Amino acid sequence: MVNFIWENLFEKAEKGQSVRKALKENILFQDLSLRELRVLENIVNVRNFRPGECVFKQGEVGVGMYIINSGSVNVTVEELDSNGKNVKITHVTQLKKNGFFGELALVEDNGRRSATCTAHEESVLIGFFKPDLMELVQRNPTAGVKILLRLGEVLGTRLKETTARITMLKKEVTL
Amino acid sequence: MNAVILERRIKLVFFLAALILLLLAVAKIENFMISLILGFVTSYMLAPLVDLLERKGFSRQWATVIPFLGLTIGIVIAIQLVVPMLTEQVATLKTNLPKYVEVATGLFTRAESEVVGIIKTVYPGDITSTVQPHILGWATDFFQGLPNYISKSLMILFLTPLLAFFILLDGRQFVRSFLTLVPNNFFELALNLNHQIGSQIGGFIRARFVQSTLVGAVIWIGLMILGFPYALVLAVVGGILNVIPYLGPLIAVVPAVLISLSGGTDGSELAWIAIIYTTAQVLDAALITPFVVARIVNLHPVTVILVIIVGSQMMGVLGMIICIPIFSALKVSTIAIYKHLTDFRS
Repeated sequence: MVNFIWENLFEKAEKGQSVRKALKENILFQDLSLRELRVLENIVNVRNFRPGECVFKQGEVGVGMYIINSGSVNVTVEELDSNGKNVKITHVTQLKKNGFFGELALVEDNGRRSATCTAHEESVLIGFFKPDLMELVQRNPTAGVKILLRLGEVLGTRLKETTARITMLKKEVTL
Repeated sequence: MNAVILERRIKLVFFLAALILLLLAVAKIENFMISLILGFVTSYMLAPLVDLLERKGFSRQWATVIPFLGLTIGIVIAIQLVVPMLTEQVATLKTNLPKYVEVATGLFTRAESEVVGIIKTVYPGDITSTVQPHILGWATDFFQGLPNYISKSLMILFLTPLLAFFILLDGRQFVRSFLTLVPNNFFELALNLNHQIGSQIGGFIRARFVQSTLVGAVIWIGLMILGFPYALVLAVVGGILNVIPYLGPLIAVVPAVLISLSGGTDGSELAWIAIIYTTAQVLDAALITPFVVARIVNLHPVTVILVIIVGSQMMGVLGMIICIPIFSALKVSTIAIYKHLTDFRS
């Protein structure tokens, strides 16, 4: 009901469909029914970022995750060099449309961001944060459980990958 | 200037302007602030029920409409059953008021004669003649101002459910629209703060409501069993005053003691009154506080007294009652903001 006079209704319908489509294509929300997706669509936060604008910084307390609806995002890590004096910025990856990041913050309590994310170009990101997840769990627990199960799967896969890499690195060091 | 910084500043200016306009509207429109506060209180109390109905598959609109229909039916029944009883008790209390003032003055006179005997040289004045007009004045003002309070209350009674309904139905969307004005670099912080403050204040209000209802119910049942007059009025007063920590329960027992003394009690009635009021507090402390202790803001007794003095000076009797919940809400918000600002940034 809010803002109904000021908003362009057709634009809203288009934007809504685009957000819903982006949500449906994401692994975390792919099990949701159309009705659940509609509820979720009214809960998530669509944010516009300019090229070079920071989404979040390494070390900040994370509140939730972002899905790239359009544009791309650079992921960088700041670390001290071998002398322990100068800060070295390492480019980790560039995430494109439908990519997502920061999902660990949905389950962590006051966990800090492990990398810095910056918009590479004009980007539209869909933010899904811990308060949004709590709201969804309260209003529609079935949808909440579906998302949490998928989130567990994603985090488990990432853990497996990390473990495999560490094992590989250990082997390399031993050789 | 960098486009990102310019956009952030424009957004921040619009956000702050919208916030100031909103606060000005709340402060300037007559009866709006109190209606809004009560609207928030009502919405916080009904929110779990609305969420429950939504979980059962109702749309947000129906999940909001159903509790309000129930509330309306409840109010109509209460008007039919409780209000005539309450009106009758208030009318009798008004008629008998001079008698109770006389008893109170008598108590002061006795206390004065004892105190003067001890500190004759320190305080040579006449306490009774100073205190009596004040008590009579307060009591007369209260009953004379009653029609005015009622007309004001009718406006508030109309506005409160209306605001509560829209807060429940559209509150989240309104906050969401408001948050779109927040620049990206403050967005996560603002969203999380809003959530933390909302859940803490909601918990606090619900806990206080349950406590006051329990205390009021115990006093009502106890006084009714005792066959004490004005049981309902005293229970309502006891429940409302219970929101004031430490002092509230003590103030609440005074009218009952005065009424009992004016009836020429033999002392056993006074003992029963003490037992009833103490039982209400013990049950509150044993049954409610342990479960909601984290949600209740602990205020130091000195803070409580200071806040009550400020509240009474600003808004009279109403200020005394609402200042503690408002101060507690401000304390919760300030702690949440401070904790967040110190913890959030790296």
